Amino acid sequence: MITIKKITLSWLLLISLTLVSIRISSVIDEPRLLTFIALFIVFLKAQQIIDNFMELKHAPRKWRFILLSYIFFTPGIIFLIYII
Amino acid sequence: MSNLSLVVSPKSINKRLPGDLAMWFFILAELTVFSLFFIAFAVTEQFNGEMFHAGKSMLHTVAGLINTLALITSSFLVVLSLKFVSLGKNQLTVYLLILSIVAACVYMATKLWEYNQLFVMGIDIETNTFFTLYFLITGFHFLHVILGIVILICIAVNVKKGGYKESITGFEAGASYWHMVDLVWIILFPLIYIL
Repeated sequence: MITIKKITLSWLLLISLTLVSIRISSVIDEPRLLTFIALFIVFLKAQQIIDNFMELKHAPRKWRFILLSYIFFTPGIIFLIYII
Repeated sequence: MSNLSLVVSPKSINKRLPGDLAMWFFILAELTVFSLFFIAFAVTEQFNGEMFHAGKSMLHTVAGLINTLALITSSFLVVLSLKFVSLGKNQLTVYLLILSIVAACVYMATKLWEYNQLFVMGIDIETNTFFTLYFLITGFHFLHVILGIVILICIAVNVKKGGYKESITGFEAGASYWHMVDLVWIILFPLIYIL
């Protein structure tokens, strides 16, 4: 069971990562690096939502795997499209 | 039946999918549709680099940030409310759900303001390919937010009536849908506003 403390920490992490993603867009000039970091942040944020908000961390493994595969492959494909 | 089939590992006892199975299939279908939208957006950007760069520069990053914070906070409040309804604290649950609806309304107001700013500049869905995709993707997401708000209102009314004393499956299903709406925005936000 996910505790309220863990949910709150997850929310703070999501807020922080959102602010970081805004900041890096004005700091990093290299487009490929910016794309990689921004999409990696997307993966981290989405993983927090799936595990702690949707509570799939303690759900049957296949469901967690299916959801995580979406947030891995969608940004992954987008990254490949941007760097090609 | 052999005794072996009755052996259940302690780890598997607590592994339960929150909410309704049908809702999870619906969530997967929705995520597939949005993923295709995002991939289509990224591919189209490669063929119309300058147009997309100009289009993105006309968007309000701060409005996008407010929308992101509003949806994350709304999702957080829904998780909290789910915890408290399990503890039987119905009044607190209703308050948290109302706050989550208010956060969702902040998202809607900001998005509508953003659309209005573009309309004032003479930009609409037919302006160019970038804005066609922008209005289609964000508009489609906006419709999901409206549906999510309706679901949250129904849940809040049900909590007020004491409807989740025996089972919170319906609450969990609605909450999962709302988190899916948040999840989609988390991918949408950098794709349209940052990259």
